[in-house]
Amino acid sequence: MSFDFTQAIKFTVVLLRGAVMTVEITACSLVVAIILGIFMAIIKTSRFRTVRFFVAVYIEIFRDVPALTMLFILYFGLAYVGIKIEPFPAAVIGLGLIGGAILTEVFRSGLDALHFGQKDAALAVGMTPMMAMRYIILPQAIRITLPPVGNYAIGLLKDTAIVSAIAAPEIMFWARNLVTSTFQTTLVYVLAAMIYFCMSFPLAQVVNKLEEKRRSWQ
Amino acid sequence: MGFWQGYFEYWDYWWPQLAIAAGNTIAITFLSYIFAVVLGIILAFGRLSKIRYIPGLCRAYIEFIRGIPALALLFLIYFGLVPLGIIVDSFSAAVIGLGMNQGAYLAEVFRGGIEALHKGQREAALSVGMTPAKAYRHIIMPQAVRIVLPPLLNMLIILLKDSSICSLISTPELMLRAKDLASMSFLPMHLYLLVGVMYFMMAFPLSMVARRVEAHMARGRK
Repeated sequence: MSFDFTQAIKFTVVLLRGAVMTVEITACSLVVAIILGIFMAIIKTSRFRTVRFFVAVYIEIFRDVPALTMLFILYFGLAYVGIKIEPFPAAVIGLGLIGGAILTEVFRSGLDALHFGQKDAALAVGMTPMMAMRYIILPQAIRITLPPVGNYAIGLLKDTAIVSAIAAPEIMFWARNLVTSTFQTTLVYVLAAMIYFCMSFPLAQVVNKLEEKRRSWQ
Repeated sequence: MGFWQGYFEYWDYWWPQLAIAAGNTIAITFLSYIFAVVLGIILAFGRLSKIRYIPGLCRAYIEFIRGIPALALLFLIYFGLVPLGIIVDSFSAAVIGLGMNQGAYLAEVFRGGIEALHKGQREAALSVGMTPAKAYRHIIMPQAVRIVLPPLLNMLIILLKDSSICSLISTPELMLRAKDLASMSFLPMHLYLLVGVMYFMMAFPLSMVARRVEAHMARGRK
């Protein structure tokens, strides 16, 4: 087996097209997960026991069932029942729902870390509730939750690889396509791995920096 | 109830096959777990080693593996090594791939555990008259366990769930069996829901234990 440089470039171009889709899926699922996570974290503080119970059930189900099984239920299972979802939205819904369960805990502990006395104190020194939120609560909440959300985003980026199983045209999907047409398995999968690495490694460095900053601040 | 009809009709046919497949899933989980723990310990000590190049090499491995999806690693091992003349069967590829992947994460956990134990602690314990065994039992071990145990338990759940992606390299585990049965009976919703419940039944007790332990360990830590 000889190494063909032009072929490697050709493969990379194809895989990069998939990388755009990978980023799109990651970004959309992240948004869904964050919104869902914040929403559930707030609901979890509810006075009503049944509401809290349903949030707990949601978290438990999406924490303990593999992402691939969820995607298959959403994509193949729902199609059987007559609800046809395209691969892209199925991936975003599936990964977003799972991410929401993970981030609920993150935001929950973020809220817990802030002593409720802080808001009272801010109001007592004459801040309006809006000002208290803007200058006291939010800056702290963001600093606490940003590193875990960042870590989740990196994990999500890599988890999107399994979306190829429901035929969403991202990196692994194109890699498998290239393999069936050229049989260059080593080259294609090494290139695919490199592309993932080039995306997630810089992100990981940023998150590490944030974590260090947070540790020095606490 | 049209939907439940499918389960009644096929249960006797599905259940034995799915039970065997679930056994394989558990086997993959445990074997790759052992592999990951051993690899994690080696890498953790490698990173703290004084020998030249060893820490750098270990770091490179950890960073690279943590930067790529488990699926890419599985494909590399199962399909990517074939042109180089190395043929690994899908079960071994699953165990090696998942183990290599999670081992990199565990290495960082273990390193944290080792580094958290300041040398002065042992000296302090000995200087107040503890025997080395007592120092180990009452000072060193409790702290190390506190740092390492919760992530170790969580990793077991992660591996159990991640083993499902091994179906994509056709490892004969639960997800692959479900896929095969679904394409044979044309009842995908029935099978994927059933398999989802099966994964849940396996993972839920583990995550209950993990959460208990985590809460217990976090006590009095702030």
